[in-house]
Amino acid sequence: MSRSTLRFFAFWLFGGLLAAQQKVLVISADSANLVLSAGGLLAGMARAGADVWWVRVTNDEKDSWKLAPEETALRSRRESEAAAKLLGFRQVIHLGYRAGELAETPFTTLRDRLVIFIRHYRPNVLFIPNPYTEYDRVLDRFYTGRAAEDAWRAAAIENFVPPFTHLGLAPHRAGEIYYYAQPLDPQRRQAESTSTFVPQPKVVDITPMLETKIRAAQALTTSNEAMAQALKARLETTGRRLPLLDTLAPASIQKLVEENVRGLAKLCAQGTSYSAAEEFHYAGVEFRIPRKYRE
Amino acid sequence: MGFRRTFGSGMWAAVLLCLGTPSQAQEQLPLRPLPPGKTVFVLQPHHDDHTTDHGMGGLIARFVDEGYDVYYLRASNDEKDGTALPAENDKINLREALAAAKVLGIKEVINLNWRNDYTAPIPLNELRAQIIFLIRKYKPDIVVGHNPWEHYQKNPDHRNVGRAMAEAYWMAGLENVHPEHFLLGVQPHAASYLIGKARLDWGLGHRPNVFFELNAEQVRRKQIAYHTHRNVYANPATARAMRAELARLGLYLPEWEALDDQEAAVLMEAWHMEWISRQRGRQAGVEFAEDYYFMDEFDHLPGLKAYLQQHVRTP
Ligand SMILES: [Zn+2]
Repeated sequence: MSRSTLRFFAFWLFGGLLAAQQKVLVISADSANLVLSAGGLLAGMARAGADVWWVRVTNDEKDSWKLAPEETALRSRRESEAAAKLLGFRQVIHLGYRAGELAETPFTTLRDRLVIFIRHYRPNVLFIPNPYTEYDRVLDRFYTGRAAEDAWRAAAIENFVPPFTHLGLAPHRAGEIYYYAQPLDPQRRQAESTSTFVPQPKVVDITPMLETKIRAAQALTTSNEAMAQALKARLETTGRRLPLLDTLAPASIQKLVEENVRGLAKLCAQGTSYSAAEEFHYAGVEFRIPRKYRE
Repeated sequence: MGFRRTFGSGMWAAVLLCLGTPSQAQEQLPLRPLPPGKTVFVLQPHHDDHTTDHGMGGLIARFVDEGYDVYYLRASNDEKDGTALPAENDKINLREALAAAKVLGIKEVINLNWRNDYTAPIPLNELRAQIIFLIRKYKPDIVVGHNPWEHYQKNPDHRNVGRAMAEAYWMAGLENVHPEHFLLGVQPHAASYLIGKARLDWGLGHRPNVFFELNAEQVRRKQIAYHTHRNVYANPATARAMRAELARLGLYLPEWEALDDQEAAVLMEAWHMEWISRQRGRQAGVEFAEDYYFMDEFDHLPGLKAYLQQHVRTP
């Protein structure tokens, strides 16, 4: 082991010890996607002592079954807070954008609002929806991810949103960033580039947090019922059935959600030695150190 | 290579893995049957998007042959496509689009007439609302269009109509989306399958995951549908330029000898369509094929796919 390798090994060990003081800011479009994509890792960070804040951009108003949007939004808000509590987050901030309507929200408006949260909470770790993931048909995640990625950059630059700089919200750079998505993109494990400064695929072991993640996903009862009802309806109209959903009781929906979380964990663990995992694209402090000095 | 790093509790670890496999591109793709259903919606910005290089003309012809009703939703007015003035292009392209649709067996062409190449500044939710309404009216099982996630897509119409489609095809099934439509006698309806077209071999962006086989008759109709678009494709000027270039090299094409420039251009486009269909066929192990990115009915629930495969019962 060379001296420089040792130095970096020590750097990482020290970084691990610092985890107890980690400040994490999570940005999501809808709630379900965040819990399903990153709930395990975030619960682990919170358990290890990190402060986790969650900025929830949309209100999930359409993700329900036979329920008015207003009622859906209210329930989803409460259920997201319940899920956040289970995951160990400190707070949820609800921006209340109407779900499914983000295409027409000016990119810069959303970005600049997110800049304020980054400068206020001053996180060292940021979680954002991966706007580069393919084949995710919920484009709110794309629009939010795109604005959040730019907010990460802009928050560190003084000349963005000057009125707030004037009020004392100093520029801030989050050192680490996780791009999260459910495993929909067949090419997700291919690094976009081998260049030094590009986020790299990262698989994280979530085995110890899997049960917590399942409970948090189950807390989103309104969107879970919508998923189960839509699935049952689709199967019925095509002459098929899923015995679990013969009676659509809360217990059967909970079981379906559990199967979903376990299925995701297994899919993300493929090709690793873990039994449960989550996948990200990740850029950390080391990505600002040229590769030749890291190896 | 890998970094190992422990979190505070020491109970668990996050390990950085680089799992890229560049050879994925060469994987053999499956030949698949058409997805089940009765109705297909081709959602495209332009008059000619059902016929371009990697085509979907063959697939449309196959859908028609196998008994599906196929509708073509053309979002733009195509005013810039061609060398005439915009209003003139609009008229010619519409006429050629209707003729090509007829060759393929498309039941109806529905024109939304958004301004060509100006879909970037339009309210995308309004375009989406129109598509949602039409999905509720025609009740397609399958939607076919540009792959909205493809990289290096320079044409804003392809990108934006693709994005509107990516949301519309499932959001049309939600009761809380555009309830005003229900006053007009339609009900919520979601399409279950999406077929995304590969535009060109641009970078890593679009990587198809299936082949659909075509027969010779379907390729023949795809050829005709393609060169029916004389305003933009089978143009005599292209053949003229090719003849001049060949003459400069001391060459000629015997098949072109008895043909005028218009006929030669048509033949050239027909060759192109046959060549690309054979090329894809060779890759798929059949005579003719087209390749697409296919999204199956439960692909949006990746965590449940294996469970559903195991537990769903078909009587
Ligand atoms: Zn086009």
